Amino acid sequence: MSLKYESQLREPLVYGNKTYHQVTEDIIRPIEAKPSKLWYIGFYIAVALLLFGVYSIYRDVTYGIGQWNLNKTIGWGWDITNFVWWVGIGHAGTLISAILLLFRQGWRTGVNRAAEAMTIFAVMCAGQFPIWHMGRVWMAFFVMPYPNSRGPLWVNFNSPLLWDVFAISTYFTVSLLFWYSGLIPDLATVRDRAKTKLRKHLYGISSFGWTGSTKHWQRHESLSLVLAGLSTPLVLSVHTIVSFDFATSVIPGWHTTIFPPYFVAGAVFSGFAMVQSLMVIVRKVFGMEDYITMGHIEAMNKVIVLTGSIVGIAYLTELFMGWYSQSKYEGYTFWYSRANLFSPYGWSYWGMMACNVISPQIFWSRKMRRNLFVTFFMSVLVNVGMWFERFVIIVTSLYRDYLPSSWSVYYSPSVWEIGFYLGSFGLFFTCFFLFAKYMPVIAVAEIKYVLKISGESYKDDMANIEVKEAGEFAHEYAH
Amino acid sequence: MSKHWQSFGELNNTEAYQKSLQNEFKEDLPFEMDGTLLDAQTPRRDFLKYLGFTTAAAAIAASCEVPVKKSIPFANRPEDIVPGVANYYATTYVNGGEAVSIVAKVRDGRPIKIEGNDLSTITRGGTSARVQASVLDLYDGARLRFPTIGGKEVTFDAIDKELSTAIAGSVVILSSTVNSPSSLEVIKQFLAKYPNSKHVQYDAISYSGILAANKICYGKQVLPSYKFDTAKAIVSIGADFLGTWISPIEYARQYAKGKKLSAKNPEMSRHIAFETVASLTGSNADERFLHRPSETGAVVLGLLNAINGTAPNITDKKLAAGIEKAAKALKAANGEALVVCGSNDVNVQVVVNAINEAIGANGKTIDFATANNTSVSLDTDFATLLDSKVDTLIVVDSNPVYTWGDSAKVKNWLKGIATTVSFGAKADETSSLCKYQIPSHHYLESWGDAEIVTDHYSFLQPTINPLFKTRQWQDSLLKWTGSAIDYVGTLKASWSAKLGGENAWDKILQEGIWSTVATTATASVFASTGVETAKTALAAMPISKGVELQLYQKISIGAGEGASNPWLMEMPDPVTRATWDNYLIVSPSKAKTLLNIDLNNNGQSDSYEVVVKKKVVEITVGNKKAKLPVLIIPGTHPETVGIAVGYGRTAKIGKTVNGNEEKPVGENAFQFATLANGAVSFSVADVKLSLTSELYPVALTQTHNIYNTDQGNRTEVMKELTLAELKHNPNEVLEERMEELKPYTGLTEKEIEELEKEGKTEEFFDKFRHNGSIYKAYDKPGIKWGMSIDLNACNGCGACVVACTAENNVSVVGKSEVLRFHDMQWLRIDRYYSGNDLDNPSVVFQPLMCQHCDNAPCENVCPVAATNHSSEGLNQMTYNRCIGTRYCANNCPYKVRRFNWADYTGSDSFSGNQDEMNDTVLYMNEDLTRMVLNPDVTVRARGVIEKCSFCVQRLQEGKLKAKKASRPLETGGESKSWDLKVACQQSCPTEAIVFGNVNDSKSAVSAHRENNANRLFYSLEQLHVMPNVSYMAKVRNIEEEKTEHKA
Repeated sequence: MSLKYESQLREPLVYGNKTYHQVTEDIIRPIEAKPSKLWYIGFYIAVALLLFGVYSIYRDVTYGIGQWNLNKTIGWGWDITNFVWWVGIGHAGTLISAILLLFRQGWRTGVNRAAEAMTIFAVMCAGQFPIWHMGRVWMAFFVMPYPNSRGPLWVNFNSPLLWDVFAISTYFTVSLLFWYSGLIPDLATVRDRAKTKLRKHLYGISSFGWTGSTKHWQRHESLSLVLAGLSTPLVLSVHTIVSFDFATSVIPGWHTTIFPPYFVAGAVFSGFAMVQSLMVIVRKVFGMEDYITMGHIEAMNKVIVLTGSIVGIAYLTELFMGWYSQSKYEGYTFWYSRANLFSPYGWSYWGMMACNVISPQIFWSRKMRRNLFVTFFMSVLVNVGMWFERFVIIVTSLYRDYLPSSWSVYYSPSVWEIGFYLGSFGLFFTCFFLFAKYMPVIAVAEIKYVLKISGESYKDDMANIEVKEAGEFAHEYAH
Repeated sequence: MSKHWQSFGELNNTEAYQKSLQNEFKEDLPFEMDGTLLDAQTPRRDFLKYLGFTTAAAAIAASCEVPVKKSIPFANRPEDIVPGVANYYATTYVNGGEAVSIVAKVRDGRPIKIEGNDLSTITRGGTSARVQASVLDLYDGARLRFPTIGGKEVTFDAIDKELSTAIAGSVVILSSTVNSPSSLEVIKQFLAKYPNSKHVQYDAISYSGILAANKICYGKQVLPSYKFDTAKAIVSIGADFLGTWISPIEYARQYAKGKKLSAKNPEMSRHIAFETVASLTGSNADERFLHRPSETGAVVLGLLNAINGTAPNITDKKLAAGIEKAAKALKAANGEALVVCGSNDVNVQVVVNAINEAIGANGKTIDFATANNTSVSLDTDFATLLDSKVDTLIVVDSNPVYTWGDSAKVKNWLKGIATTVSFGAKADETSSLCKYQIPSHHYLESWGDAEIVTDHYSFLQPTINPLFKTRQWQDSLLKWTGSAIDYVGTLKASWSAKLGGENAWDKILQEGIWSTVATTATASVFASTGVETAKTALAAMPISKGVELQLYQKISIGAGEGASNPWLMEMPDPVTRATWDNYLIVSPSKAKTLLNIDLNNNGQSDSYEVVVKKKVVEITVGNKKAKLPVLIIPGTHPETVGIAVGYGRTAKIGKTVNGNEEKPVGENAFQFATLANGAVSFSVADVKLSLTSELYPVALTQTHNIYNTDQGNRTEVMKELTLAELKHNPNEVLEERMEELKPYTGLTEKEIEELEKEGKTEEFFDKFRHNGSIYKAYDKPGIKWGMSIDLNACNGCGACVVACTAENNVSVVGKSEVLRFHDMQWLRIDRYYSGNDLDNPSVVFQPLMCQHCDNAPCENVCPVAATNHSSEGLNQMTYNRCIGTRYCANNCPYKVRRFNWADYTGSDSFSGNQDEMNDTVLYMNEDLTRMVLNPDVTVRARGVIEKCSFCVQRLQEGKLKAKKASRPLETGGESKSWDLKVACQQSCPTEAIVFGNVNDSKSAVSAHRENNANRLFYSLEQLHVMPNVSYMAKVRNIEEEKTEHKA
């Protein structure tokens, strides 16, 4: 009888004959080396986009929302589309960190750090849209419920937009804490390896005096579990509440009870796709194929095909209800404004269908799941599709609602509307590039943890032990 | 009395206590104080506090630059001005021969709003869009500000001196119709001084044909008074009497009277319209039939024949059947019938007179004894004048260079005149060619009188001191005549003499009206001699085979008077729903061949609707050309196209005419008008249309026009039925409502059946009210504001739209913004087509403003509670709380909320953010233009939502009025007295809008709902938003029941 059973089907979580030191070297190296040319190019492009976004917002704030092509019928367009899109993307991190942690999914360790960082940045980007889409953003503090000298005048707790304020800020806070608490041991590692005073000082501050004592580790583990427990319901609640923005309204196409689960599935779907896009790039650029393995990519692709199919069912359910409810207003929205390819916005609906429902089905094939190019292409496609989904929900519902007299002219974004969106990409990638440069993109400590049970070096060391009989081992151990 | 004490000190009244009472600051002050407060020192620990405070205060005070606004208070308050309280002056809107009795609302010396004069027996307080907008013309920056000679500013003395010699030879005063007896007297006195002189009247929109025909038939060259209210059957042939024809406000009121019906008395007049291009009148008709302009003669001839019992000789079967129908209806009305025709052909009008004679209208619905003075001019007079030699021309309120078909001829003729004097208020096409420009007052600055119809006078009095160096033209003429007294002196003298005393004169000035007109019509003797000649002439008239062009007037622009008024330019045309532009109207079937757009094809109609750029067509008539975008408007004859006159004006009359393009909007369509048979003809045969590759954006405010969709007929939005259906089943609308609401009542089918059987409909609606929501429905005691709109009375004229704009300081946003669907009007008139005939559908107008829902979807979605419900049922908007998320606008099923997309009003705290604004917005923000703003209504800043407030400022004023009089508020009802009327209601010529306290069972609005309970509906009632605006279903007087009506 062998001491340890090793699955023949499961792949190792880390490839290569790695020692602890090698793991540290591999992951910390990019932080200590000079950034590559590629990094600089990427970073400058990101900053340029960010600056364009800042200018777009400057125009929007100075001249008014009229800088965008929204109108009396379509009050929300690209702004809220982008908001929901980014919030959706911001779901994967917490899902990977929290839910997979609770379910003890070992493979999460390779991707969780980057995924969490992505979550934070995506939520930051998402937050920009509801803020700057306000007509009087300088009065935005009105949404904060606090005793004030204006009456006191309180917020309207009935409004889903207010729920959004709470949901997003809570989610952001918890995600940030979770991410940062995971970073502390790794930052301490960077500190310990630092050769300059400044580095030592800065990483010293940011690692909060971590010494790696058992007590520290014990508390760290407990905190991780508590935060995981806290954020698990958040994964479900945030997008549920975002979906309430629409579901609680009276507009056909919005007024739908299916929205909360449908939005959450869509969020996980798009979040995983975004993680996938970034991972494929990161593992290539930083040479981390041993840590972010094909197994990771395949697992993520499985989640993508699952959630993609869930949203597919949601789309079909909506269509069915559009007919079954016999509500002419819903019927019009679902069957004419959306499902009819030849109606003015039919292209966006079918773009959504093609990207979100039809094309992910390719991942039923193992070969495709393990194909890097297909994976990358699909991950981008899914996020395009998910953007279309939000656009479809918002614009095609609004532009032709109850009164035919108010049906809108064609809405297409202005350059400043697009600029704002590009700016959010700028913000996202600027943050991400800085993160990749100054922080370990893979959780060093956690990789070491799985190395103990799954790494090649562990197996090598164990090989001569495992040949022994159990009784023999026990006897030796006793001495 | 027992003494209450606070401390033992007080009880005992010790010395220490006495001392402590003297000390103002009993608690320790944060000062190190030895002696008095002024010697105190700042303690160390408070030093930083003070430093912080003073730095912050200094920073704030230094950085917030407060713009300096100069205002000068009254040293002595004028007797009749109470700050914040409006004064009302009765005066008269005058535009050529058109005169409307009005009351001008004056706040702090500025007229800011026009209201109809209730005392007028003609309009009964009704107004039109143009009357409402005229107050803005007063503050028009393009008005001439001083007299000029050859473009150089001079004084009145200088110009008088020069003209005293320059006016010589044959003198001609060219004016539009002058209906003021005192002005005519002034002209007479002036002309008496010059032997070779005459007064020629010329109207851009001529009624020569009718005048000449009446001369032939009745020996009176006048326009008669028509009485649409007594007519049970009305046939209109190309006469847009609800929109632009002769006296539309008067006719609209009369017409609506015949159209109003109640549950008790379900009878109404029947109106059949024959027309060439979709008009407001045709859209309101019970039935409409289309014909070519060149067929007009055949139609009237056919109608006369049909009345006399012979079949009309018309090949178009639909049209022939329509004529038969019309004849039948006219005969059945037994004298209470009326035929009106808009043609300017004397022969046509003679035959129309013969028809009216045959149906017995003369003396019943037509009254020649009371002449309407809107137009008295004959086109031939002006045509002859153009061929004659004139030495001195004095132009009064006339613009032939623009309005005469052969403009080049007029220009040449002007060039040959030695002395040209213009009294025009602006440097328009004609006055800019005149050497002497002596701008006259705006009517709100003028004195005067007007004889609107025979023996019915309306008076003008100034409501403001002249803004510029202008002089009323009558004063100029009197001066040149050498008269010792000025115009107001003569006016006062003549009227005081006529009325018997100055007191009487004061009284009519207060009331604005003096009338001795008889209410009953009298018949005039008809001479049938001319009829046969006219009939032969008509029978010989060729009917064109090609495409024909019909020129028409827009309600807002008229003959071009409205082209520089931003309110009117931005008012959506009731028929086309377009703003700012001039376009070619074609029928859907013409669009198929001409534009390759088939409106029956969803894809093609969608792309026509959602894309603002429309195809451009070149119109060629002989050597005259015009290029215009095309709008497809059902209700137009397939082979006829229409162009509105009044566009293509000179930019000198104001930036607004540019509509933000480089050149003035549209083309001057008057160029296509020709002189035919002694009168200007506004239709042209054999027009060549060629599609160009150009596209041109047209600013439409409504793009989709049908409430019937592939997915179901949206009858919850709008309800209409035929009179036959209503009589057959008086409860049809009620039953339809119940059918729609059934699922939301919480009742089973069986329970509903029982309720229906027992006639307990009240209980049904009560159940809906309570069970349709998870929230409890509360009683709403006290005042509850509500509105009721009779769709049968509303003809869509749009007076209310402009009235609302004026009352509530609604921003004008200019064409470029309307193109982006950013129009700001709080009140709009939706227009829907229904029926199966796409080329000639039924039309219904639905005024739509905030419905002030009791269960408003906008209210609960606002994160900051900026929009909320008042205890009086108002959905109110708190501008300074709004942060502009636009969620409320999205969630409004009626889409009545408007967002301030940019700094339209200049009231934003960000300076310098108007540099990208279009000319129109900048124009509206000029100091002069802003004088029209209503000080009772906040001007909204950028980034906030606004919407109809039910004129809350008027409601407050009305409530205060009642309170001061210590009586309950009165809104109509038995006493017929009103403490308040909202702006749209006040302006409505047909009294289609009734507003008031619905909790008062005797108020007019309650009565309106009560009397028409079987037609009452709420738009989108099934959403359970509980709107406070009710509508009365549109009823068409058609014999057949429309089966397709039911969804």
